[in-house]
Amino acid sequence: MIQIENLVKRYGDLLALDHLNLRVDEGEIYGLLGPNGSGKTTAISCLLSLLKYDKGSIRIFGEEMRPDNYKIKQQIGIVLQNVAVFDELTVYENIDCFCGLYVKNKEERRRLVDEAVEFVGLEGYTKMRPKKLSGGLLRRLNIACGIAHKPRLIIMDEPTVAVDPQSRNRILEGIQELNRQGSTIIYTSHYMEEVEQICTKIAIIDHGRKIAEGTKEELKQMIKTGETVTIEAVMLNEEQLQMIKELPHVFDISYESQTLTVRCTTAKHNLIRILDTLKKQETVFGRVYSELPTLNDVFLEITGKQLRD
Amino acid sequence: MLHLIRYNILVKFRNFNTIFWPLAFPLILGTLFYFAFGKLDEADFETVETAVVEEAEADAMFLEFLDTMADGEEQLLAVEKMSKEEALTALTDKKVSGIFFVGKEPSLTVGGNGIAESILQSLLESYGNGKQTMEHVMKTHPEGMPKAVEAMADYKTLVEQASLGGRTTDGNVQFFYALVAMACLYGAFMGFGAAIALQANLTPVAARRCITPTHKLKLVVSEMLSCFVLHFVDILVLLIYLRYILKLDFRGNTGEMLLISLIGSMIGVSMGIFVGSIGRMQESVKVGILLGMSMVGSFLAGLMNAEMKYMVDHYAPIVNKLNPAALISDAFYCINVYDDRVRYTRSLATLSVMCAVLVIAAFYMVRRERYDSL
Repeated sequence: MIQIENLVKRYGDLLALDHLNLRVDEGEIYGLLGPNGSGKTTAISCLLSLLKYDKGSIRIFGEEMRPDNYKIKQQIGIVLQNVAVFDELTVYENIDCFCGLYVKNKEERRRLVDEAVEFVGLEGYTKMRPKKLSGGLLRRLNIACGIAHKPRLIIMDEPTVAVDPQSRNRILEGIQELNRQGSTIIYTSHYMEEVEQICTKIAIIDHGRKIAEGTKEELKQMIKTGETVTIEAVMLNEEQLQMIKELPHVFDISYESQTLTVRCTTAKHNLIRILDTLKKQETVFGRVYSELPTLNDVFLEITGKQLRD
Repeated sequence: MLHLIRYNILVKFRNFNTIFWPLAFPLILGTLFYFAFGKLDEADFETVETAVVEEAEADAMFLEFLDTMADGEEQLLAVEKMSKEEALTALTDKKVSGIFFVGKEPSLTVGGNGIAESILQSLLESYGNGKQTMEHVMKTHPEGMPKAVEAMADYKTLVEQASLGGRTTDGNVQFFYALVAMACLYGAFMGFGAAIALQANLTPVAARRCITPTHKLKLVVSEMLSCFVLHFVDILVLLIYLRYILKLDFRGNTGEMLLISLIGSMIGVSMGIFVGSIGRMQESVKVGILLGMSMVGSFLAGLMNAEMKYMVDHYAPIVNKLNPAALISDAFYCINVYDDRVRYTRSLATLSVMCAVLVIAAFYMVRRERYDSL
């Protein structure tokens, strides 16, 4: 459905996109995950033909994407990072205003606007102006304006920034519902939990380059970490730390603020082995928990830095 | 297109800046002008209480002049002859506004600096000038003396200005022409908003609109049409308010007045669209430029000082030939005062050309669909 090849975009000396290659298939919820400034929004802006780029090609629905390719634009819905609505129009008018740029028939438009209002749960707010809405409701309006015309492809650029947890969950559920109804979705975010929760395929971007791509399971299999064990332990000495480090399947440990973090490769009984060792040393420890690898671990192992750095 | 225009007008109609500056502000200013100037014209001055002290070799003609001023329906002065002491006491007690000491050369003593005192001063100066004139007439054309005396006696007759077209002019109405011109230029705020809402690198709403299947030309044209229509209505409301509520004396043909309003509103909007489309200048700077252009233009067209337009015409005539505010107010003058169709047509033609140049230039700036950065 979307094919981006060798996309290069420079802002003066800054290389914002460095030979970016992406391929999105119909029916996917494709996540673009990366820290702030990694090039996600730039990639989306190039994809939508809002930004000039220096090199590369973008094809959507098998055709080259150009600013005047209205046939492609007709089938795209966009939810921008910044809320893009008119403060002077009511909720209903805003959705109708933007839907009308895609759908000419009044009756059909009325039906679509009503469905969009219901979809984002703004039934009780249709006559209100955007300034009267909370941050979460405003984001929902922003989404409704982008999806009312039932596009085949929906591009969502960080739609949950500054949104309360309740609205965030509603938005994420909505995105999955849109996907079930047949829309392909590109979803950019720097929140790994969101991407992990809803995306069927994920590309991790850093410094304008794609550093990994796959399903969340595939991405996690790419890295060494199979389990991360965290233990609150008081006053561990070098000898004790060395003993834990020498345990089978342990490949990395860190001890900071009386919290021991042990990274292990995938194996059975990692946690039991570590706790046995601490008991034998008569070490006092408090809370203990074990986590499967996250996308942050993937990012950390590939780039050497935290996703939220 | 109608969908776009409908929502464009709705957005502008509900926006404070696009309603207050082009419509509400001129209405407020017009009302203030009306009370400031209108009332001045209608002011009913009370008769000025005056003491007269006759001295040796009193100027008999001046005494007669004062009697004339104290006669008739519009009695300007109430004259009472007194001794010097009585007069000074009356002045101190504010029973009179001034004392004319009538000797060989009449003089005036006043106790303050209000309108009454100014009238007395003005009368004395007028008499001095008239006397000088008559002495001159007596020396050079003694046969014309009776007529000169008659003219002098007819001092109270108000001078009525009449234009070349034979229409009576009200000196204050030019403030209102300049006000309408200013209102036209304030359409720049509306045009500015429209230009901003079309550029994806400036507002998220513009970005959203640019990625829809609606052609950019359609977006641009619908914005311009919405602005022109809405601002034309603004100007009509202002004219109706001035003509029918404040009852100003607009005598021009309605069709011609409407044409000025239409082209005037278009030039204002075009200025805004042009400035809003310029490069990457900060929005506040652009607003400052617009405000400066419209205020300076209106000032030079005589909004704040009636003499300004004539001074500019005298010292830098090219400025008024290019100043949209001056051209608009001039067009109003042409149909309401001069009855000068050639000048009227020239003013409107100049405005139309300026409008076209600004709109075309703006269109070339906002038509791009891909940006270097957002």
